[in-house]
Amino acid sequence: MTRATLKSAVAALALLGTASTAMADDLVIGLRAGPDSIDPHWSTLGSQAEALRHIYDTLVDVDDNLQLKPGLALSWEAVDDTTWDFKLREGVKFHDGSDFTAEDVKFSIERIPEVTGPMSMTLYTKYVDSVEVVDDYTLRIHTKGIAPALPNDFTRLFVVPSETGMEARNEEFNSGAKAIGTGPYTFVSWQPKGDLVLEKFDGYWAETPEWDKVIRKEIPDDAARVAALRSGEVDMINYVPASDYLAMKNDSGLETFISDSVYILNVQPSVVDEEPQPITLNGEPVDGNPLQDVRVRKALDLAINRDVLVNVVLEGLGTPANQLMPEGFFGYSDKIGAREYDIEQAKALLAEAGYPDGFEIDFTCTNNRVPGDAVVCEALAQMWSRLGLKVKAQALNGTVFFPAAARKEYTMAMSAWGTLTGEAAYTYGALAHSPDEEKGFGNFNRTGYSNPEFDKVFDEGAQTLDPEARRKLYEEASYIAMEDRALIPTVILQTVWAADAASLTFAPRVDQETRAYEIWPAK
Amino acid sequence: MLGYLARRLAQAVVVVFAMSIIVFVGVYAIGNPIDVLIDPGATQEIRAKLIAQYGLDQPLWRQYFTFLANVAQGDLGTSMVYNIPVVDLVFSRLPATLELVFVSVCIATFIGIPAGLYAGYKPGSLAARAIMALSVLGFSVPTFWIGMLLIMAFAVNLGWLPSGGRGDVGSLFGIPTSLATADGWSHVIMPALNLSLFKMGLLIRLTRAGMVEAMQTDYVKFARAQGLPDRQIVFNHVLRNISIPIVTVFGLELGSTLAFAVVTESVFTWPGVGKLIIDSILQLDRPVMVTYLVLVVILFVLINLVVDLVYARLDPRVRLKGKA
Repeated sequence: MTRATLKSAVAALALLGTASTAMADDLVIGLRAGPDSIDPHWSTLGSQAEALRHIYDTLVDVDDNLQLKPGLALSWEAVDDTTWDFKLREGVKFHDGSDFTAEDVKFSIERIPEVTGPMSMTLYTKYVDSVEVVDDYTLRIHTKGIAPALPNDFTRLFVVPSETGMEARNEEFNSGAKAIGTGPYTFVSWQPKGDLVLEKFDGYWAETPEWDKVIRKEIPDDAARVAALRSGEVDMINYVPASDYLAMKNDSGLETFISDSVYILNVQPSVVDEEPQPITLNGEPVDGNPLQDVRVRKALDLAINRDVLVNVVLEGLGTPANQLMPEGFFGYSDKIGAREYDIEQAKALLAEAGYPDGFEIDFTCTNNRVPGDAVVCEALAQMWSRLGLKVKAQALNGTVFFPAAARKEYTMAMSAWGTLTGEAAYTYGALAHSPDEEKGFGNFNRTGYSNPEFDKVFDEGAQTLDPEARRKLYEEASYIAMEDRALIPTVILQTVWAADAASLTFAPRVDQETRAYEIWPAK
Repeated sequence: MLGYLARRLAQAVVVVFAMSIIVFVGVYAIGNPIDVLIDPGATQEIRAKLIAQYGLDQPLWRQYFTFLANVAQGDLGTSMVYNIPVVDLVFSRLPATLELVFVSVCIATFIGIPAGLYAGYKPGSLAARAIMALSVLGFSVPTFWIGMLLIMAFAVNLGWLPSGGRGDVGSLFGIPTSLATADGWSHVIMPALNLSLFKMGLLIRLTRAGMVEAMQTDYVKFARAQGLPDRQIVFNHVLRNISIPIVTVFGLELGSTLAFAVVTESVFTWPGVGKLIIDSILQLDRPVMVTYLVLVVILFVLINLVVDLVYARLDPRVRLKGKA
């Protein structure tokens, strides 16, 4: 048998295999990661929220572009500087048949600090001072200080019935006893790292879900997930590895879905007076920290060929990034142009800054957090070597990288950051603002970047309740931080889903979530 | 005999302590688990509160003694990631791993030993050479790759077997196990075969080596001169004489398979403890790491104990003394 005939035989058999899928009304999804608990107030983990969204609704929902839309709350407005009113949806039922009211929301908010774990959800209630039930369908929140982002925080506020009781912990939720929400699907069973089984909830307030039964299988191994799809074990998978993506694109039995993600790989140059890992020239430490000079940071930026990163290094699964958030997010600045590759200008800037012969620098990245982090790391090191730098690149496991990054041990690092809330305060507040414990900003500022001008504009934005005025201020803040090259964004990562073409269609989402109620049977 | 057992148990206790200290120091050296787990949006205030909540701001010795005090009360701790008692967490996954290892060990034994015996009995034959060639493949080709090949062949292309997961769980002698159902067997057979290949190769080679050597010894010659049929010589006399190295290796392999079946488990999405442990290491979920490793130490000690007892049974010259 020649290779070609063998190949076609395999392909034919693969097609036969994919034809035998589960029953039409059931949906089986193979996912890279699942929840850590069925308690919706336990953890902020993305895969946790994604799974639990099927069972519980949030007060505020987000659309495909992560912009706010009504969820259990129909509308919200700031009554004064520190008071918000939320109008709640009427006629919503919990899975046990009881009515959804403002009491349940109040209970859910107050439950969070009592039960949340190391990935603390108090993050989303940090502005809440007290909760007042005005009537069954009106909720008043008194905030600590001015809190324009309160509705954004409530996009992760899952509501459980007030009858749940403060004593209930993860075990009661995992067993199903307390796993009661208002979501489109009811809880059937789950085990840590195992399958999450869901059943349609007929009394759902919005459209009745399409599938009678949904099984979310956790298959962390990439190859095993692909095999599960190809053998018909599952109807759909998320996080298709780049190596399988090309083969699947050419397979008529399978459909692939691609979307930009919220994750961007950012280079973080340390600008502290004495860099943690010495920058050297001919073995001698250079005077001062060259990265403090914005010309050096601009040179590093100009030397990055983002088209090569996307098309060659990531095999097409990426988009060049020019700022820390994708387009369309709240605070995305149109003033920042595309980042061009210009090695000559980069060299000129470096010489102008006083380093015509370059220098030797350490560069540390993660290697397992997002697809492509390690390869982009190596590619960047090579691109900078064309600039005349000697780059010692090292890609580390996140378990090692993050604690060391928190201790600010890296002179130049790269990791992914996802703007999970769809707005600038989350990203720029954490990464670019000067560390300020009181305001809670700069908590992930690992570079030591501190620009009073940026802080001023950003702080003003954070104190502005009017959304349009706030947007303008955040755009301006984004622009300042990016012109300073506080961080150097490289590429927006893309996510790929694949499914059996005959059985379903799906609209991919920028937050990478795979929601059973946004998957429809193929007509 | 009793003294021997007591000494063995004392050894086990020392090893368990050493293990738990290593885990504590190791996690401490890597860094703060909170920095791995924490949400990117968390403020310094939230972080500080969490560190205090989990006692991670305490000096290492105090954290360790708190742990010991809890263990003394029978509490091995609660997983930081799942917030359920680690004992429940580990034991919810352990049966699946035990099941998989049991089947794979059976496959390895019932194919490996007869094949090895044959290869040693007729070393020059074509079949013997084929067996030896395959045994080399068994322990030289990486497990995950064979696993993928098996999946491609039997699940994707032929569609005979499921590509992964554990099948329906039934009840066998009151024990809930997927080995009680046909669906369960269809799920377990491929990963078990995959997991058994290495051990099978090892058993074949060990058995063959022992067999070739034993067939030239005087007692075999005398037995033949006496007119005993070869079948009786091989199974009653030779097998017993060559068993000791086989049992030793078998014991060690059983232990390591149980503890580290993770590659096969992740390729076949088998819901065993392997993946749980790897993840808990990546997330620095210390209670789970300590409990699991302590469990593994106990397991190894137990298996070694059984192996020693079997020695004594197989070879009357071996005596179990207090100073073993």
